Amino acid sequence: MREHLPIIIFLIPFFSAICMPMVGAKSVRWCRPIALLAVFAMCVPAVVNLVLVLTEGETRYAFGGWPISGSTSSAPLGIEWVNDRLASIMIVALSAIASLCLIYSGPVSPRSLGRQVVLYYTLILMLITSLTGIIFAGDLFNIFVFLELAALSGYALVGVAGDRALIASFRYLILGTLGATFYLLGVVFFYATTGTLNMADLAQQLADKPDLLTNKAVIGGTTFMFIGLGIKMALFPLHGWLPGAYTRAPDAISPMLAALMTKVSLYAWVRIMFWVLGAKAEFGQVHLLTLLGIFGAIAAVVGALLALSQHDVKRMFAYGGISHVGLILIGVSQGNETAFAGSMFYLINDAAMQAGLFFIAGVAIYHHPTRTIENLSSLRNGSPWIIATLIILAMSMIGIPPTGGFFGKWHIILGAIEAQNYWAVAAIIIATILTMAYFQRLFVRIFSEPEMPADAEKVETHFALRFSIAATSIVVIAMGICSDPIIRVFRDVAQSAGLGAN
Amino acid sequence: MTELIEHVEAAIQRPNFIAFVILFLWGFYIMVTHPNMVKKLVGMYLVQTSVIFLLVTVSAKDHPATVPILRDVDIESGQIDPTEYANPLPHVLTLTAIVVQVATLGVSLALVTAIYRRFGSLDENEVLKKIE
Repeated sequence: MREHLPIIIFLIPFFSAICMPMVGAKSVRWCRPIALLAVFAMCVPAVVNLVLVLTEGETRYAFGGWPISGSTSSAPLGIEWVNDRLASIMIVALSAIASLCLIYSGPVSPRSLGRQVVLYYTLILMLITSLTGIIFAGDLFNIFVFLELAALSGYALVGVAGDRALIASFRYLILGTLGATFYLLGVVFFYATTGTLNMADLAQQLADKPDLLTNKAVIGGTTFMFIGLGIKMALFPLHGWLPGAYTRAPDAISPMLAALMTKVSLYAWVRIMFWVLGAKAEFGQVHLLTLLGIFGAIAAVVGALLALSQHDVKRMFAYGGISHVGLILIGVSQGNETAFAGSMFYLINDAAMQAGLFFIAGVAIYHHPTRTIENLSSLRNGSPWIIATLIILAMSMIGIPPTGGFFGKWHIILGAIEAQNYWAVAAIIIATILTMAYFQRLFVRIFSEPEMPADAEKVETHFALRFSIAATSIVVIAMGICSDPIIRVFRDVAQSAGLGAN
Repeated sequence: MTELIEHVEAAIQRPNFIAFVILFLWGFYIMVTHPNMVKKLVGMYLVQTSVIFLLVTVSAKDHPATVPILRDVDIESGQIDPTEYANPLPHVLTLTAIVVQVATLGVSLALVTAIYRRFGSLDENEVLKKIE
């Protein structure tokens, strides 16, 4: 039973997604309870799986019983799913954030989606399914298929609002498909050189034959894969699709996309980087990690700068997300376990923060039809919870203890100092100051307005909205308080990825 | 100079790869430069097809190979000549990639239709002008 947990986690949203149109044809009212039930039901095996993996070690799932990488008798012919510590933690984060996003979407979706609620629940469950697939996938081609599946649901979800969202969605589609094609091209190169797609087998081959890493096809393949996933994770010069798509997407959808899409693509790259190429991969004279660090530093600083110049709240948060992808890449690229653990911690924390920020932006649009920073002071009419959460999330985005953002950044900086990459430290600090600047702009707008007119109508925020918004701030603080054990787990993960103290 | 000649020679011996590069860049060029959305999709389709073409190319064998269905004779003698059989995996990958490509094309055409109904134009510049 235990080794079947990954596939159970995968099948729950998958079957619900398939059943959704049939249920919706009968009665629209049942769609939401079933979708909620599916994501809650997904959380249970995810948590059980995490506990089992932490106590009893990782498992590998062989589809159809075909030989996979662990078997000695035969080459890995079958499709393999890897259920190790990193994957199981990511799955828990995914299912938790997906549940919050679905709770949140209840009151918001009728306005932003209208009659398309059935399709919305189908697509969002499909999105969760395919993200689960990316997280567990143990071979390169599977990642491609799930990446495309996630992206297809993403295009439809962004475009569902009609009007300007259609253009944003079309742009997302063009760039996203290009990214997936680049990724596939990289996979083809790898396959042509090594004859395998299994990640563990590829890593073994690369370790056995070091001259493979100087092979032009492998270098080209890695480059194409990185460009492809770079588009998907919205790494700075390739981020063109993200702000428009997140800004124009319906309010019920942008938190989900912002919290999970880019993060899971980044996770896929981390998998390929450390579990296939290996932490010590060098192409000619260029150390791959150093190159990544430079990309990350540029993205972190420029993303924050662009966020500072925005007027639209959602767009500002979207650029903040771009900046944080860069920050996580800096941490991943330091080549020691401290920074790696910090950045993986930050990745999960950032997913919660992005979800929370887009929740708040959605509430601002839902209750007080405002999209711009200038009118944001109307949020003060609403529940004090909203402002309190915004403050907590801002603290975490900037990196003030005791929030999770602080501990993530702290470990990334510690790791960068350990690796003596002082420019990386500088980039993180500049990005932090810029983050502080744009949140300060936000808060000045909210609080500097004179007293609200006394007859201003008090808006009672819907319970589901309050709950999901408060939950993100609790998650962020809880991650900060419990950061030590989580970081320790990630340190072990880093050691298994070949980043041990040597 | 001799190195360059060697490169050119090597390239000429692999016409499929040249075809791939031309198709890929052609599609990419159309995708980037044409303001018409349907033409962008044509470019996108070309790019995707070129990658699938490459996938088929790398699985080709020098002399004619057949489907990997082993006849009884082979199993009895235990002598299997791998060069006689085509590698099935790239073809399966190709099929999957084509399915993904068709699904993407379906979604993108639906989007373009919706854009045309809403804005009455397929030209990206015109649509952007209408938004402002």
